[in-house]
Amino acid sequence: MAIVSPQQQPQIHRFPQFKYIDGVRWLPPLSAFGRFAVVALFDSDSDSSSIEIHSLTQNPLDMAPQSAWTSPSRISSLKTSQFYQNPLVFASTYTGSLHVLSVEPMDASLDSELSVPEKILHDRPISCVDVMDSGGECLTVAEDGRVNLVSVGESGLNYRRIFDSNGLVSYTAAKWASPTEFATGGCGFSLQWWDQRKPGGAVCQFKGDWASGIVHCMDIHPSRKHTCLAGGSFGTVFAWDLRWQQQPIILSGLEGSKTSNFSPCESEVWEVRYDPYIKSGNIGGMSSSQILPAMICSEDGIITSIEQGKQPVELLAEPCAINGFDIDHQHPSEVICNLEWESVAILSRP
Amino acid sequence: MEKAMATFDKGTVCSAWNYSASRLVTGSADGTVVVFDSLDPSSSSTSLTRTSNFKAHEAAIFKIVWVPPEYGDSIACICSDGSSSLWEEVVEDAQPLQWKLSKHFKSNSSQILDIQFGNSSSGLKMIAAFSDGNVKVYELMDPLDLKSWQLQAEFQNVIDSISTVRKAACLSASISWNPNRGERQQSSFVLAFRSDTPQLDSAKVWEFDRAHQRWLPVAELALEADKGDGVYAVAWAQNIGRPYEVIAVATQKGIAIWRLGLNPDSDGRLSTERVALLSGHNSEVWDMEWDMGGMTLASTGKDGMVRLWQSNLNGVWHQHAAFEPTS
Amino acid sequence: MPAPVSDSSPSGALVLSSSVDREVVYPIRHEVKPPIARLSISWARGNSFRVSIFKQQCGDNSAGSDDGEVGGQVLEVKIRNGDTEISAAEFRRIAYGSVSPFALLQSRKNMVLGLSKMSMGLSQFNPDGWEYIAEYSKDVSSILGNPKSLPSSAIEDPLEILKKVEEPTCLKAAWELMDVFYADKQSHWWLNERLVDWLAEYDSVLLTRQSTIHSKLFNFQKELDDLQVVEDNPSYWDVISSALAVGWQEIVVKMLRLHGSYQLDQLSNRETENGLVEAVAVLISKMPRMRPELDSGRLGECFKTKPDFTKAWEKWRSQITKLDGSAFWVYCAHVQTREGLRNMLQIILGNVESLSGATCNWMELYISQLLYVRPFTMGLESMYNLAERCMQLKKTSNTDRLMRLMIGILGESTEVVLAECSRGFGPWMVTHAMELLTEESDQVEVLLHEELHDLGGISIEELHRLVYAQVLCSHAFTWQIAPIYLTSCAKQGIGFLETLLYNQPVQHNGMLLKNLEICRLYELDGLSSNIMKIAGVYHWKHGRKAFGVFWLRKARDEVRLNKIALQLFDSVGKSISDESFKQWEGLIELLGSESKNTGGLEFLHKYRDFKKSLHQVHHKGKTTGVVQSAVDSLIALMKNPSTPQRFWLPILNDSLKLIDWHEGPLLNVEQTNLLLNKLQELSMARLRPDFVESDLTPLALSSIRLALAKNLGRAFLEG
Repeated sequence: MAIVSPQQQPQIHRFPQFKYIDGVRWLPPLSAFGRFAVVALFDSDSDSSSIEIHSLTQNPLDMAPQSAWTSPSRISSLKTSQFYQNPLVFASTYTGSLHVLSVEPMDASLDSELSVPEKILHDRPISCVDVMDSGGECLTVAEDGRVNLVSVGESGLNYRRIFDSNGLVSYTAAKWASPTEFATGGCGFSLQWWDQRKPGGAVCQFKGDWASGIVHCMDIHPSRKHTCLAGGSFGTVFAWDLRWQQQPIILSGLEGSKTSNFSPCESEVWEVRYDPYIKSGNIGGMSSSQILPAMICSEDGIITSIEQGKQPVELLAEPCAINGFDIDHQHPSEVICNLEWESVAILSRP
Repeated sequence: MEKAMATFDKGTVCSAWNYSASRLVTGSADGTVVVFDSLDPSSSSTSLTRTSNFKAHEAAIFKIVWVPPEYGDSIACICSDGSSSLWEEVVEDAQPLQWKLSKHFKSNSSQILDIQFGNSSSGLKMIAAFSDGNVKVYELMDPLDLKSWQLQAEFQNVIDSISTVRKAACLSASISWNPNRGERQQSSFVLAFRSDTPQLDSAKVWEFDRAHQRWLPVAELALEADKGDGVYAVAWAQNIGRPYEVIAVATQKGIAIWRLGLNPDSDGRLSTERVALLSGHNSEVWDMEWDMGGMTLASTGKDGMVRLWQSNLNGVWHQHAAFEPTS
Repeated sequence: MPAPVSDSSPSGALVLSSSVDREVVYPIRHEVKPPIARLSISWARGNSFRVSIFKQQCGDNSAGSDDGEVGGQVLEVKIRNGDTEISAAEFRRIAYGSVSPFALLQSRKNMVLGLSKMSMGLSQFNPDGWEYIAEYSKDVSSILGNPKSLPSSAIEDPLEILKKVEEPTCLKAAWELMDVFYADKQSHWWLNERLVDWLAEYDSVLLTRQSTIHSKLFNFQKELDDLQVVEDNPSYWDVISSALAVGWQEIVVKMLRLHGSYQLDQLSNRETENGLVEAVAVLISKMPRMRPELDSGRLGECFKTKPDFTKAWEKWRSQITKLDGSAFWVYCAHVQTREGLRNMLQIILGNVESLSGATCNWMELYISQLLYVRPFTMGLESMYNLAERCMQLKKTSNTDRLMRLMIGILGESTEVVLAECSRGFGPWMVTHAMELLTEESDQVEVLLHEELHDLGGISIEELHRLVYAQVLCSHAFTWQIAPIYLTSCAKQGIGFLETLLYNQPVQHNGMLLKNLEICRLYELDGLSSNIMKIAGVYHWKHGRKAFGVFWLRKARDEVRLNKIALQLFDSVGKSISDESFKQWEGLIELLGSESKNTGGLEFLHKYRDFKKSLHQVHHKGKTTGVVQSAVDSLIALMKNPSTPQRFWLPILNDSLKLIDWHEGPLLNVEQTNLLLNKLQELSMARLRPDFVESDLTPLALSSIRLALAKNLGRAFLEG
């Protein structure tokens, strides 16, 4: 692992919440002033779940709850998007319902909610939701093998089932690639590529049969729509380029450490994101087959930057699992993450 | 300090928690089974919701036992008409998830009093104790199909086979498997009756002799003078590393705590020692269970109390706490 | 017997604190109307249990009068030992925080142990040993909270005698007391002063029925604004002498300066009086202290060696004696001032009666004696004797848990210290404080590590760790840190851990993976595959076939996979010549190409390949490559022993076009014979009772036979 000089070390601020954190996201900017984060919480004492908007203040960095919405069940997946200038929060639950909350720009309150009740989209926990960039189209996938499309319309939420494998395939991750295409991931490190113009099933699949792990998270870069970045079990992070379907590029993991790369972690990779903060030369000039720099967090408690052909750079090492993170697209140096031990941490990179 | 989790319908007489303490089933006098689930099993949530409700028997269900989780989500209902049934929660043939009957056990001559499942390396075993003092051991033939059972052994709860009992009438039976998992672990259980026949009553430890493929009594947990005492309940403690086993046996004299040696003598018997006799309930003991470390015993009895028992550093057993449910 | 009580702690957990409480009956409140027919009990996680309460059946079931009444209820009861002061959420924060210091100390201990095995007995002289313990103690202490001064205004309020600080906890006070005696060995030469500091910080958390000096000060602070002439008020002098007795010199001096004689308009006619007040204040602020340093703003002169201190002490005392015997007292007209100041001098001179009058409980009296009567460090035995004398002077019926802990420590009884830690502060405290004791002496070592048969062969140290682990297991958020403590338990830790992990629910994938990760870390492979097996069966039975097969494959459960294969064949068999086979693709993909651990499911893979190539033959046709690969697939499938017999005929039927290839024979003699033999085997098998007849017409069978015979002939000719 590369040594980071003290000047490069990010500043870390931890905020105990005294509740389990099921997810954190930055909220797209409401106005020129103020920054906000969305936190999904579970309070074991009262057995209740909620989504809170926290406002952040600087010097010293602090976060404080601004508004809250009570959820009927624990949040299984949390995403934010901006739809006609309005920030939206998409949250799926353990019982299979989907909730879309809009945030009032004036006072950052969660003011309206649209939802699809449980048992309609999925029977059990929704594994993953993904929202199209600046759009109201949301994918939901689950272990039951269903893929649904939910869109925010004038009169509420519209939903339709894209596919149902009846449990013969399970999906654990999903990511939009374009307004018509998206990718899903599942067990056995499998990835599927879907095109809504070709209904009836995935248009192609990738099976990573080198080890039997599960894909937990995916990312697709807007400038590299042909490449899926996926993270999962055994610290595995790999990229699947649709143009060279049978040859995944392994960026991290047990399989990778056998060949060349040092693997930054050995456990579940819970989140993977392309990292816009790392300027790896001239992105435009990079070969389109070169994988862009990314950031991962893992069960063994680390947040690491990984880049093809380079040593990973550890940004945070905690004694407990890091279950998810989000990079602020307005300020890419700022990363918010949720720690297993009932805390939120914010990293500010120099 | 207490949190209400769920309320039961009228006529409910028994309940049982699954291995992870996240699902509860109840049985009622009209033969109905109700299943309660915690919304999020991993958060130790204390609020339960009713997820299923089905009629398992025409007669009353007086006891429900969960099958070990390696065999799915399934339960055995023991019914007052002497029969017993196995139910399983499955999705089959594109039907939604539901509880289905897997197997119905019925004997014409006697009634089933208690059933317990034991998970050994060779597969799932089911012990059934009958009202005539007989014990039957069944084996599951196909680990994914709870319909296929085969009778492996049948014997009486007596220490030597000479004293076979011809006619016996038993009121109740209680069985407790050795809860320890592990590859080398012998299959063993403790069984006792409450009957009109003294030699059947006392708690005996049975162990499966692999070499000869038969069940052998390896210990009797009763003092000479107490051998005819009917047993209300037995509970085998989890052993996470003790050089001896601990088993609780409840009779009208109190709850006896027994230590059982691990190594058999030349006759194949295990050494026994009664280390405590705990009085407190002063009457019938309804239910006993050891905690996860096998250090604290919880019991309920006809005195309407819940009592916790522990040993101190010197090995002296005492009441650790007592609770009285009051409305 | 005390009346039944149920102390509800902030966590909503029942707290069992002392042995006396064993006789207490705690109520469990429920909604079921009596009579009760039965109670059933079951342990939940860790220290909580569940009681089901069943109502007695009424005689007449027909009567609808009691409709809507519940027939029973299930309740959860959580038991927690020890501290009631800390909320459940705060307890979890402390539990999380103490993991790292504990784990670090264990690994250092193991390292030192490893070294000492190589070079005998080095551990006793290991220079770092004490530093490790001290560092650990400081780390744990910082988790328990740092008493931060609350932000105050920049301008100092002359009337503010008590600084507002965040309320310290009793737990922190207890830890600090342990730290003073056991961890911070380097400060033992100024133990007395450390205890003075300790009391200054934690006097407010001493729980006694009587007031404490802190509470007296607190109350006086509230009155202060309304007082016109402080020195006329008896409680002014009372509070000053109390503060002086326990060494809170800054407060004393600050309060003295509130004396009316300092006011400019009075200075002239109260000159002597003011001189005396100032003289006392100056003397107090110059008190020699046997300690390395004092925080800024604190008063006194520090000495690091005993001779220097003794010299300064004697000199200072002689100044006080001189002042005490001064003639000026006669000229002090204000009676309260004269009496008050002279009493203060008596306190400084160590007059036990004055000290006793100025302090509220034996602990305060004790500290005051350490400060003014016995300022030199002494052995624990004489410290204990002194404490006993103080207790006799300040008899009290109820003793505080901190005071009991102090007595235990001074009495040099490890058992008592452990018992007080456990009884007063709970399993967290005793587990973590034990680490401070282990380095104490060989005797303590034996006490903590001796294996006790009656405890099942474990030591007291292990017992306390197990008890703490069980507390951690009681909560869904903290069970994951229990392994850290369990793996430090040599005898029963792993057994306990296995039980804990086995009983975790498998329904939720994220939790399951976290559980399996712990198995991986501690190399519990057998348990890990057992858990995967449970998960596999759960998903399979609940209709998520992919996840079911996935976990069973990972569990390497050949038996179940083979059974699953048979079930899958049934499903596939129904749609064998159908396009609906396509939906199986995903599952077959999952099985992977390697044949290991898939049981008979390998067949599905080959069958899929066969179907694919056949499909290509039908649509693309002609090209020899495609046709040849279809034949290869057919032969591979028929050769494979795991291909179920009942599929043979349908497969051959599907391949009719290949067998009877219009452009010449595709199968050689050997291959044709293989297929003919299979047909022969089938007709033999038909005689057995368990044979499953295929749905194909007899006509199909004869056309296969005919095609094979024809192919055999042509193959002979070609060959």
